[in-house]
Amino acid sequence: MIQLNNIEKYYANKGIKNYVLRLVTTTIKQGEFVSIMGPSGAGKSTLLNIIGMLEEPTYGSYEFLGEDVTSLNERKRIELYRNHIGFVFQAYHLIDEMTVYENIEAPLLYKKVGSSERASRIADLLDRFNIVAKKDLFPNQLSGGQQQLVGIARALAAQPSIILADEPTGNLQSAQAEEIMTLFKKLNQEDGITIIQVTHSEKNAQYGNRILHIADGVVKEDVAILS
Amino acid sequence: MFRLNLKIALRNLWRNKTITAINVGGLAIALAAFILVTMYFTYETSFDKTNPNYKKVYVVGITYPEFKTNYTAAPFAKAIKQNFPEVESAGIIKEGSFELTIKNGKNTLFTKNILAVDYNAAKILDIKPENGLVKPEGDTERLNYLSSKSMKILFPNKTDNKPEIVGYGASNSGITGIIAGSIKNNLHSNFTFDGISIASQLGTGDNYDMNDYTIYIQLKPGTDVADLERKITALYRTELLKSKTDKKAIDELKGISTFLDPLSNQHLRPKAGNDAPYKILIALSVLGIFILVIACINFTNLSIAQAAKRAKEVGIKKVMGAYRSQLTVQFLAEIFIQCFVATIFALILAELVLPYFNSLFQIPLSIWYISNDLFWQLPLILCLITIIAGIYPALALSGFKPALVLKGNFSASKQSSWLRNGLLVFQFSIAVIFIIGLLIINAQLKYMRSQDLGFTANQVVYIKNITIFNKPDKFEPVRDKILKIPGIKSATVATFIPGGTNGVNSYTANGLKANIDFVDVDFDYLKTLDLKLKEGRFFSNEFKTDTLNAAVINESAVVKYGIKHPIGETIRGCNIDYKIVGVIKDFKTQGFESPVQPTIYTIRNPCGGYKLQIMLKISENRMADALAALKAQWPQINPQDGEDFRYEFLDELYGKLFKKQEQLQSVFLAAAFLTIFIAILGLFAFAKYITTGRIKEIALRKILGASHLQIFKLINSSFFVMVLIANTISWPLAYILTKKWLETFAYRIELPLFPFLISAALTILLTIITVSIQANSAVKANPVDALKYE
Repeated sequence: MIQLNNIEKYYANKGIKNYVLRLVTTTIKQGEFVSIMGPSGAGKSTLLNIIGMLEEPTYGSYEFLGEDVTSLNERKRIELYRNHIGFVFQAYHLIDEMTVYENIEAPLLYKKVGSSERASRIADLLDRFNIVAKKDLFPNQLSGGQQQLVGIARALAAQPSIILADEPTGNLQSAQAEEIMTLFKKLNQEDGITIIQVTHSEKNAQYGNRILHIADGVVKEDVAILS
Repeated sequence: MFRLNLKIALRNLWRNKTITAINVGGLAIALAAFILVTMYFTYETSFDKTNPNYKKVYVVGITYPEFKTNYTAAPFAKAIKQNFPEVESAGIIKEGSFELTIKNGKNTLFTKNILAVDYNAAKILDIKPENGLVKPEGDTERLNYLSSKSMKILFPNKTDNKPEIVGYGASNSGITGIIAGSIKNNLHSNFTFDGISIASQLGTGDNYDMNDYTIYIQLKPGTDVADLERKITALYRTELLKSKTDKKAIDELKGISTFLDPLSNQHLRPKAGNDAPYKILIALSVLGIFILVIACINFTNLSIAQAAKRAKEVGIKKVMGAYRSQLTVQFLAEIFIQCFVATIFALILAELVLPYFNSLFQIPLSIWYISNDLFWQLPLILCLITIIAGIYPALALSGFKPALVLKGNFSASKQSSWLRNGLLVFQFSIAVIFIIGLLIINAQLKYMRSQDLGFTANQVVYIKNITIFNKPDKFEPVRDKILKIPGIKSATVATFIPGGTNGVNSYTANGLKANIDFVDVDFDYLKTLDLKLKEGRFFSNEFKTDTLNAAVINESAVVKYGIKHPIGETIRGCNIDYKIVGVIKDFKTQGFESPVQPTIYTIRNPCGGYKLQIMLKISENRMADALAALKAQWPQINPQDGEDFRYEFLDELYGKLFKKQEQLQSVFLAAAFLTIFIAILGLFAFAKYITTGRIKEIALRKILGASHLQIFKLINSSFFVMVLIANTISWPLAYILTKKWLETFAYRIELPLFPFLISAALTILLTIITVSIQANSAVKANPVDALKYE
């Protein structure tokens, strides 16, 4: 599904190249649950951003679903966002002016899903995540864990084939974090959604089936977890 | 999707209530001003536009070496029509020269302006009586019509349009006439009247020396106006040559030419006259646009200022699959909503202010009528301001990169700060210019009010009169009767009153021939107006020759002719050798804009006008009694005017010369307030944004030991610098503009320094207050709250 070849990212400053990523080559298959781990400043988030096409690599090539997407125009990239990729953020990044319901509905509107289909999908998600009672509340009326649930529901609404999560539990207490990770695992195993997450926590990484260890921009280890 | 965006927009606006209110309120006020200016502009530029010949009508005027005029000789109209096939029609008109009293039983009408037109002119100028334009028969028949308003006064119960018989002058005069019907007096036209008198032909006995009429010609389509102008000049010279024989007169002809001036120019910038109204209109329009632009700038400024808040939304929407164009449209729509609301408020505001505006400019504008141009102009303006105010923020906001804004430590303030600062400086520059302008206009008006005019208009009553008192012995019994009334100090009669225009004639003295002003006066003129004598004496009963050939001239005339010892010298005019018996000090009969003209005062002047203007000096404490007595005794004093005693106070009449300046003062007062208000609104919101953005910095500084005062200084300093820059930019501009304005006055103040200092002090003070109010909350806040917020 994802094929990265010799991805490099550096910032040139007065002729000196500051590398963030160096010659990253890896393949991520459909249905995998990959955790990217490493110390602060190792380049985890940058790698995820490149995979999510939010940043372009300085060097190397990137294939997504067999298509070269190394440098893609905005229109095509947005098509991929609409149909294949869902994002989950550490700070949840819900839109403050929208209710829970509207936040989940927004990607469907951009995807131009019909209104009855929209209603049923949202109802389904609300039900599945047990937040039906909260649908008319605004994000600031929810706890962090609940906000992240909405964030995930929103990412799932467009029925993506892959979810990219940047420290999804970073701002959460451990009980809530556990809930979110269990949910991810379930989504991965039951719905076959590919998940790539960046995390600091060894415990969270254990929910997945593969760990990429990164340090100083280089992939040090690629371990499979046998459950 | 649109519904959702609308919802978000409204929620967003609601959440930032203060900023939204500032945005919409400021824009509404500016827009109201702009709406008024637009309406005024449309009104002023569309005089006579309802005339179907509007684009084809021209005035034929004459250029003399000294001046231009629209007054020409009646026979010239006929000559033009006969000689040039491209002239479709030529007509002449003449404004009534004195007041006429018309009576129907007890109903009395005083008409100021009965317009005399010939049939051709009526057709060219679209003058239509209500029962249709009829050609009067023969050379002598006059069809007289009264304006509907005048008709109502004479015949309050009249409903049909049948002719009526009326009396002219005093009720015992025995003169009667027929009013053929009523006619609509269109105030939105260059030709306004109380009544109109149509003849089949006018001025048939006139020759080329009698320049009493104004010629209007209607051209055939496709006429080369410049070419026709040349041909008409040639024709005019030939016609004049017919009556002239001496060589000097023929040489003078070379300095005379004619011009064609389109009807559309007549109201605002006639060639024979000044174009000040046009300039004022343009200035006013520029002002309106400026105010609107400033308000739009506030909008832009605040929208960008809120960028950080909206950046997250942009980032999320983009990763959810929104195109940039969709986001641009969303932001534009949001701004459109605000502009739309502002427009509605602006209309309400404009409606509220309109009565004051109308009375200031003496115009009859209204908003709510079907054919108002505003109804198509307004949606256009709405779209325009949405684009001006919204396009930059919409593009800037929708251009955010999600990877940057979603990282969390995004700050939008840096990238556009120069733009925001620039806009703020621009706003303040304009406000400063208006403050300086206002102060200088005030100073000049104060100067005009406090300056010695050279005469005293107070307690001088000017009585309207139709009896001609050119001979002093005819006025003498009238004066005697008037002076018997207690409280009346002196009485005189003259051809012109101060505050109006004088006559111009050619006089020769000291070997020099020149056109100078003349006023024909009677005894006691000097006493009534309290003029100051420089040397010699004024006219007196004791000198028999005073009524024959004595003249008094003013200081300017002495200078003009270069006479060293004027008393006893001769000045020749109208075939009379006048002996100069006195010199009076200059007095400002024409106000402050034009210098005092060289003027000659005589009692006898066959070439002059009618002495109709009676002026009385009345002591202040007996004013009411004296006026009552005058009214009661007027039929005996002046039988011809009879019971129609009407008067005005000379100081009020003279005060009309200040009207234009007072208008300008009001406009500048409003503009100064508006611009400073809008600029402060913008500053208020900007400061709010800046302080919220620096809340963490302020908290840190407090922890590091900064005092409140130091923090106030810190926040104020950048704004202080911006206001200083604004002042530096505007000072030279204001200097040039006000200097230009002052130069339109012959008598003016030296450009003072204090307006510049005051405007700087005022803007700086307002800035510090505004910013400090905003900074206060940030300074007072507990640093812990600001720092734990992450």
